Amino acid sequence: MSSMNDKLNEIMLMAGQFTFSEITKRQFSVNIKSSGLLSVLGLFRQKGFTHLSLITGIDRLNDEKFEVVYTLFCWESGETILVSTLVDRKTPVLPTIMEMWPVARFYERDVHEFFGIVFDGNPDLKPLILENWSEIPPMRKDFDPHKYSKEHFPDRKYNADFLPEGGGEDE
Amino acid sequence: MNNEQTAWERVANMLRARSLWMLYYCTGCGAIELPPTMTARFDMERFGIGPMATPRQADILLVTGYLSTKTLRRVIYSYEQMQAPKYIVGFGSCTINGGIYYDSYATINRLDLYVPVDLYLAGCMPRPEAIVNGFKNLMDKIDQGEATGWKDYEANYEWYRKNQIDALGEVYIHDEFHE
Amino acid sequence: MIITILSAIALLILAFAYTVTLEGIARKIEARIHRRCGPPFWQNFIDIFKSLTKHSISHGFIFDFGVLMALGGTIATVLFIPAGNLVVFPGLDNVFVIIYLLAIGLLGMAMSAVGSGNPNASIGIGRALTQMLGYELPFMIVLLGVFFHFRTSSLSELAVLQNSGGTYNVLIMPIGAVVGFVSLMGMLGKKPFDTFIAPAEIASGPLVEYSGKYLGLLMTQHAFGTFIEIGLFVNLFLGGGKTIWEFLLKFFLVYFLAVIISSIMPRFRVEQAVKFYWKWPLILSFIQVVIVVFIMGRRV
Repeated sequence: MSSMNDKLNEIMLMAGQFTFSEITKRQFSVNIKSSGLLSVLGLFRQKGFTHLSLITGIDRLNDEKFEVVYTLFCWESGETILVSTLVDRKTPVLPTIMEMWPVARFYERDVHEFFGIVFDGNPDLKPLILENWSEIPPMRKDFDPHKYSKEHFPDRKYNADFLPEGGGEDE
Repeated sequence: MNNEQTAWERVANMLRARSLWMLYYCTGCGAIELPPTMTARFDMERFGIGPMATPRQADILLVTGYLSTKTLRRVIYSYEQMQAPKYIVGFGSCTINGGIYYDSYATINRLDLYVPVDLYLAGCMPRPEAIVNGFKNLMDKIDQGEATGWKDYEANYEWYRKNQIDALGEVYIHDEFHE
Repeated sequence: MIITILSAIALLILAFAYTVTLEGIARKIEARIHRRCGPPFWQNFIDIFKSLTKHSISHGFIFDFGVLMALGGTIATVLFIPAGNLVVFPGLDNVFVIIYLLAIGLLGMAMSAVGSGNPNASIGIGRALTQMLGYELPFMIVLLGVFFHFRTSSLSELAVLQNSGGTYNVLIMPIGAVVGFVSLMGMLGKKPFDTFIAPAEIASGPLVEYSGKYLGLLMTQHAFGTFIEIGLFVNLFLGGGKTIWEFLLKFFLVYFLAVIISSIMPRFRVEQAVKFYWKWPLILSFIQVVIVVFIMGRRV
């Protein structure tokens, strides 16, 4: 733990203040501004967190922002750090981290397909999982999957004589 | 749909019922119930049902569980590669009415709009005893001459095709590596 | 002439019926080793006849022709195997004739598998031919030892000489018999040497594009091929048989041994199989030939 504190103090000295919390033993979470993203991730990489586990996104509809979370892992000490940053929901643009971790190319493709976040500098932002998708990115909270499913995939019509009184077939 | 069969058809159906080869196309989580059914405890080979690795030689296509749109294109390709007479068994409740993924934007809700299904096995997942019972029902159906899904597909091809295009957009698989 | 045709037809029917029944019994034995009930012993008949009732799809002329060549070559080879006292062409059944005719079967299947255009088939055929390089070499060396000792290479004569002499070859050349049995397992395509079929890996290898009637014909060809190979081993090392029932009994014993060894083993890769064949079986076959040539001498 003291090594973690030392590392964080060094990074804080170099990058300015940021909020830090401990989730459980050996799992920490850090909140930074999106302008300092590349420098902070690079500093973490130099300090031993050389493994990028995941990039994922969260849709904060009430705050009108997307939160993008980078999960970094250190092999020597076994600690995980979740680095999260907020971007604007109307025009979400983030710099890519492909130069530091080449595998980020596919994670950013995934986040771009499901949230619509554009990663500057990633040449390969084609869809990864869905095929022939023509609606808004589906992981956003204002996309209604139930309505989409009803429109595109017809249901089986049951003769609903097994439902109790007051119930009815779900439209 | 009990139609009379000629003597030749009766012999052929008797042979087909007792030697079914399954293409283990394990699309969803239902595939986890197949190894117990195949191995020593609930032995499936004693009914003549055996594994077959290629669609050209298989008789049954087992659609085990939910089908996303991406997988449905490949299932249609595999089904059309199989040689008649061929049967489809829908496993689990996701093929019947969508199951627990009924409100998902990626999975279909009703399998027999896109391919003709001969037998459904209800359950999430059906246990190996239910699977063996279901296969016994399928074998009886084949003996009676009622398992004619492949003839339906050929006769009503335009209806199936319309449903497939409605749900999928196009049934053509793009090869990402060579495009 | 009529006798030849009748005995040929009888031998073909016997080979087909007996081998397919034995394959069904082998499935039952394998199931009992796995502690489960297996399919009924007539299951392989149902499989073959069901394949003959399905529709099939063709991939061109080479594809069709290769299947016919495979089946025709194998049927021609079956007619040269003496089965007890049922010898169709007495005096003409040289071992080298059989080995040449066997190649027609394999090459026919290779031609049609490659003509189907599926890369899985080409990989499977490449592996099959590589494995053939492996098992043919020790087998041939042991055969040369046998021919040197008996001064003849005709199968029916070898069987008669062993029966009249009183001892079978497996007792006077035990090392050679063991090497011959290991090569036999490679010829039959039983585990651990079944990498060229490899069901889950390359989708049945050469058989990947055969549907319906082609598959029925190829399963028949496989049954005939099994009969040829095991018949060869029984005639060379176990003395054939004075009557046909003795031949069938020895056939069953050899097949049973192959089945129970193969039911518990996994599969070699093709380079591991060839390395295995060119190590201990080759050394043992050389030792056997040295013993035969210098110590036993020719049979007087």
